[in-house]
Amino acid sequence: MSLTSRWGQRVLALCLIGLFLLPVIMGLAGTLLPAFGLTPELAPGNGFAQLLADPRFLPALSFSVFTGIVSTVLILAMTLLTLVCVHGTRWWSWLSALMPPVLAVPHAALAIGLIFLLAPSGELVRLISPGLSGWERPPQSWIVPDSVGWSLIIGLVIKETPFLLLAAVSQLSALNVSASLRIGRTLGYAPARCWSRLILPRLYPRIRLTLLIILAFNLTVVDMAILLGPSNPPTLAVMLMSLVNDPGSRAAASAGAVLLGALVALCFLGMMLVEWVVARIAARRRQSGERGHGVKLFRRLGMGAVVMILIASMSSLLLLLLWSFARRWRFPDALPGQWTLTNWTSRSDMLLQPAMTTLLIAVTVTILSLLSAIIWLEFERRSIVPRIDGIWFVPLLIPQVSLLFGWQAVTLWAGMDGHWWSVVYTHWLYTLPYVILILAVAWRELAPQWGQAAHVLGAGYWRVLWHIRLPLLRRPLCQASAVAVAVSVAQYLPTLLMGAGRHSTLATELVTSFGGVDRRVIAALAVLQSLLPLMAFALALIYPVWRSARIARETGPSPSRALDR
Amino acid sequence: MHELCVRDLSLQLPNGKWLVQNLSFNVEPGQVLALMGPSGSGKSSLLSWLTGTIDPRLCASGEVWLGSTELTCLPTEKRRLGLMLQQDYLFPHMSVGDNLRFGLRGGSREERDQRISRTLAEASLAGMENRDPATLSGGQRARVSLLRTLLSDPCALLLDEPFSGLDATLREQIRQFTWQSARELPVVLVTHDEADIPARADILDLGKTQ
Repeated sequence: MSLTSRWGQRVLALCLIGLFLLPVIMGLAGTLLPAFGLTPELAPGNGFAQLLADPRFLPALSFSVFTGIVSTVLILAMTLLTLVCVHGTRWWSWLSALMPPVLAVPHAALAIGLIFLLAPSGELVRLISPGLSGWERPPQSWIVPDSVGWSLIIGLVIKETPFLLLAAVSQLSALNVSASLRIGRTLGYAPARCWSRLILPRLYPRIRLTLLIILAFNLTVVDMAILLGPSNPPTLAVMLMSLVNDPGSRAAASAGAVLLGALVALCFLGMMLVEWVVARIAARRRQSGERGHGVKLFRRLGMGAVVMILIASMSSLLLLLLWSFARRWRFPDALPGQWTLTNWTSRSDMLLQPAMTTLLIAVTVTILSLLSAIIWLEFERRSIVPRIDGIWFVPLLIPQVSLLFGWQAVTLWAGMDGHWWSVVYTHWLYTLPYVILILAVAWRELAPQWGQAAHVLGAGYWRVLWHIRLPLLRRPLCQASAVAVAVSVAQYLPTLLMGAGRHSTLATELVTSFGGVDRRVIAALAVLQSLLPLMAFALALIYPVWRSARIARETGPSPSRALDR
Repeated sequence: MHELCVRDLSLQLPNGKWLVQNLSFNVEPGQVLALMGPSGSGKSSLLSWLTGTIDPRLCASGEVWLGSTELTCLPTEKRRLGLMLQQDYLFPHMSVGDNLRFGLRGGSREERDQRISRTLAEASLAGMENRDPATLSGGQRARVSLLRTLLSDPCALLLDEPFSGLDATLREQIRQFTWQSARELPVVLVTHDEADIPARADILDLGKTQ
């Protein structure tokens, strides 16, 4: 049975899906068994009893629920408001251009930038001091750090809104928005009401999965919660991280991870219930025939909210850059008094080695993810395997803590912990879904006639793949590569748990060093962490254009439009 | 019902080319004005300008009046101009009845339901309130789409090649249905096909006005 036979290819596809699901199944088993006391040698004691006895548990749980749900609701509201108020206006192209950089910046780097903006000694306070505030020193009580979790919520909203917005925008073309709005408006409905009655009911089911992923992430995020959230109580995920590092509390950590998974599942159910109620109310209101009013104030409020988010995210990134080159920046100066390169050169050990490790892991993971996605999508195109989109999203819907605690225990048991390949394997698990998501649309839309035309000319399968299909899909392949780099660079928990402290990346270095290292070096670390995905996105944008220009030079002034995809 | 009046309409492309220059016309209630002309002569842009949904890159000037009311600066939703496009754009997340209810203005729930049942019956679509639009035939969809537009109580009707997606038999049937349903309204029809134009219509060839 060779790999070129249909059965051989089926076996290869089975191996691929098996490799993908292995950490998920083993990870969940590795979390569930210790939680229920079934592995006493690995995690002694009754995990649930230990956890419930911990006085931090209930406050941490309620804090996680509050920040997770409020941030998700705000992200959804911001996305819908942006669509209703900005889509179709001249600001839309500006917004579309600014979204990818915000999306590319890793969570930890953005969180640090936000701290530089909102902290008592941050830029906001500096801008109003001493003139408006009268403060000569950073204030003792300020909006950050807050005990309620608003900083974490703001951070999550800024980071995740572009993600949901991008998912929504990618679906709008299928909904024929401009025609629906035109018909709705000629029937007498105000634009906002056309959106709420004609577009959003059809758009929402298409972005539901992305919203569930965001909800799961917001309820269980660790790196942003460590940086932006209060420490007493911390979020449940952060609390569990402190437990998992203590061998005596391993069972409690596993029990907590199970409860966190159950909490996420409960929130999913709650969200679906709310969806059902809202859908029924909306359906009833649709029949009322109320046309609504074109309220300019609403549009302005929406625009204002979008602008606020953009300003906060852009200024956070700018502050990282300023701090990384600052030599002397006294409070309340709005800008550094002196500039230097020392922050980059004096601690090169702290910057260079993690940067190299991050880059190496990201490149390896990107190549592996692209290869896996291409293999799978080619098999799917040739009907060797069925379309199983839902399976790829499983790791993104399970809290990282719930999956990785168990997966770490399994790798420990198998003697694979701390191995570089374990880190790469786990990064691949979280990168592949995004790569497949991006490539699948283009792969499925590519007209089969291109390949058929080449086959008729005598080209074999590999030649068609290499010379026709892949070049035609150059742009989505570049985008998928950039996203893969961004996802890998941002991975904190998989690197920390699988690396066993032996593989320090920019993400782990940034979170663990924060608070203990000079903020100027931290800023340099964050800039470096942001630069990698930003460069990947820039390359993904430039390379297809450069290739098309080269083809145009070689073949004359009007190259095939297909090559310009 | 009032007449639809366009005065000194000029439409210019971003490259400086004029689509329409100083065009004026009146359409009386019950009258049909057929806009003809080759592709790119500005027929659909003219309708978009009338509805207030014209591509902002186009430079447009002129006035549109409905009786004594100037519509030029009114937002689309306040103009009360019914629009039918080549595609029927029945909203797929609503049943046939809900699509029609979406067009209706005012009235109690019972009145609205009764009006919809009556309208559907008059259009030989009785009992189809709860049907999914996806299960309707092309002709049924076209009729529902026109009914939805008419139920919104428009003061004029704009038709942008509404029959071109239908097969020959169906096309004649829907033409009859349209002209009968819209007999009291001023109608502007954009078409490439002279067979679409009713006998009582005036014809304005935009290809010749340039």
